Amino acid sequence: MARRVLYPLYQIGNPQLRVFRPNFFLTLVRPGKELPPDTVQFRIPIEMTKCDVKNYLENIYNVPVGAVRTRIQYGTNKKRNHLNQRVKTPDYKVAYVQLPQQQTFEFPNIFPDKDEKPAEGSMEELQDKFMEDEKQRQKPDPRRGGVTDWFGL
Amino acid sequence: MAATAAGRVLTLCRQFQVGLRISSALPIKQPGLSFSGSMICSLRQTSSLFAQKHVGIAAQCRSLHTSQCKMGLDEFFDIPENWGETTVKSGAPWTAKQLRTKSNEDLHKLWYVLLKERNMLLTVEQESKRQRRSMPSPERLRKVERSMLRLDSVVKEREDAIRLLQTGQEHARPGAWRRNIFGKTYWYKFTEHQIPWYLNQRYKRKRFYTPLFVNPFIRLRLEQYLRHKTRKDRAERGRQRKLKVKISQQQSAKA
Repeated sequence: MARRVLYPLYQIGNPQLRVFRPNFFLTLVRPGKELPPDTVQFRIPIEMTKCDVKNYLENIYNVPVGAVRTRIQYGTNKKRNHLNQRVKTPDYKVAYVQLPQQQTFEFPNIFPDKDEKPAEGSMEELQDKFMEDEKQRQKPDPRRGGVTDWFGL
Repeated sequence: MAATAAGRVLTLCRQFQVGLRISSALPIKQPGLSFSGSMICSLRQTSSLFAQKHVGIAAQCRSLHTSQCKMGLDEFFDIPENWGETTVKSGAPWTAKQLRTKSNEDLHKLWYVLLKERNMLLTVEQESKRQRRSMPSPERLRKVERSMLRLDSVVKEREDAIRLLQTGQEHARPGAWRRNIFGKTYWYKFTEHQIPWYLNQRYKRKRFYTPLFVNPFIRLRLEQYLRHKTRKDRAERGRQRKLKVKISQQQSAKA
């Protein structure tokens, strides 16, 4: 199951192969296109298979898995570096995990806007004050009624 | 009738209190693994404590809905208190010295703690990339990676020690130094085969010897290597000499 592991040759009757320290790392991503509510999208290492994903989620995360579908996302090689050579972005595998029994999952907003005021007398507060002051200064004179400075004396 | 109702309410209250007390007593019991230097997983532990508290209350009043599955996928995200924060506190990574004092079982458990933490951090990183924000405390990822590397090395050390004691084999995967036809010596790793080597056509096609006519080329290669090496060394020495002159000039100008 794990990457860079040499398994012994399988002979009939051998015990099941076990992995004690799996080095596969999943990334739960927000789906780019709309998915059914019971489907979760993951980015997984290329070597991982559907069965691996199922076992991983069920055994480590204790998440029941209905079905897994995978595809390989081709990383673009259109980009060029400063020597005009093609630069390949790495490929990765995408897994769509369907949850059983009408369970739904929605990607939460993990960066909610918190309006917190910075501490009194701190650097950030000074910066904010300065920026506000500058903005006030940059504003055109309201008495001019929207006429540009060019027409002034 | 009214009295019985009041009594029922009282007992309910008492049950609730007991539940609270149990959940507050849990934190003392929780670090059974005694991860004393557990900096990274401390947050996760608190989160699990948080969950346990919730479960404790939920067990008291069944109307609260909690599903196991949801908790599972929520482990891919940070605890909700840290959402939207610019910095998240974290401690130092595990050192090999700390890990060597742990038992195998503890290390096994710690691997999964670190694995979950890393998955969580990767998820947060990807999401912050997507939303074009800065990731809160990105140094955590590197800390977890280093801890995992160290844990791996510690486990390998133990495996090596056991293998040496039991079988006397130095390498986990047996191999030998061999020469190929170009006269290069390299570490050949052995692999398992279903058939013996003298029946294996592909193995027999490999040549682990150096013909005599290759000898002059080996010598040439050695000469090339030595030439490159001396050239590099001389360049380095010249650079050092120039630097020394420059520094002495600067010092004399200062004085």
